Amino acid sequence: MELDGKTHKKYVKEKGLTMKYLQYNWKSRVFVILIISIIASTVMVALELTDWAEQINQQGYSHGSDSEGDKERANIAPALMYILPFVKEIVLIGVPMLLTLLILKLSSMFKSTFKRKKA
Amino acid sequence: MSSWKESLQKTRYVMDVILLVSFMIVSAPQSTGVPLHEWLSLLFIVPFAIHLLLHWDWIKQSFKRLFSKSPAKERFNTVWNYLIYLMMLLVFISGFLVSVALLPALNIGLEIQDFWSKIHHDSATLIMPMLGIHLALQWNWMVKLTKNMLKKKA
Repeated sequence: MELDGKTHKKYVKEKGLTMKYLQYNWKSRVFVILIISIIASTVMVALELTDWAEQINQQGYSHGSDSEGDKERANIAPALMYILPFVKEIVLIGVPMLLTLLILKLSSMFKSTFKRKKA
Repeated sequence: MSSWKESLQKTRYVMDVILLVSFMIVSAPQSTGVPLHEWLSLLFIVPFAIHLLLHWDWIKQSFKRLFSKSPAKERFNTVWNYLIYLMMLLVFISGFLVSVALLPALNIGLEIQDFWSKIHHDSATLIMPMLGIHLALQWNWMVKLTKNMLKKKA
């Protein structure tokens, strides 16, 4: 963090330009990200050669394109059809976030209690 | 004179908000429709790459920190960030492999496999709770920066 701030200040001061930290060496950095991503992606794509992939392909998979799903969607109010996916996202992101915050809070409380007892 | 672009922390904050909002839009194909979902996903690579570039020093030092005597929370955060990156990559890759609008528009023909449809659906769902935990781990920074940004505006 300290280094980031210093590096950034240095570029802003020297060049007097904004977003210097982002622009600094961006081509080589993007190239590194790209290379790592391509290597990791190649490994991931190789998953389709596994027995697991073959099994799923044989069993078949359908999501959201079946007629039952269409019927269900037809019963939902049009406005809700646009809102519900975002509600689902908020729940899927928000609940684990709140649970993690609770765990972090509890663990810091336990730590401080333990330290006080020790002292 | 002081703008968010002149502070690294504020630039990160603004870009992260853009990243989160664009993630939420991209992750709702039922709302946007599949073709727009696919084109927006392609555009989403830009804020995602900016996010990585803005945390370049952290990325560089993270591997060293993983094996150092840093606090458990910090090491967990590092491993979690790596996992989110890999999961995001899996969402991207599987998404491109089940594309019905983007790749055909670019004259790239692919036979869609049920395996990739399942992987795309499952990984796109799984990345949301992963993101929730990621946000919780940065909570103090988020609260501090939000207060800082609001203070400047007031």
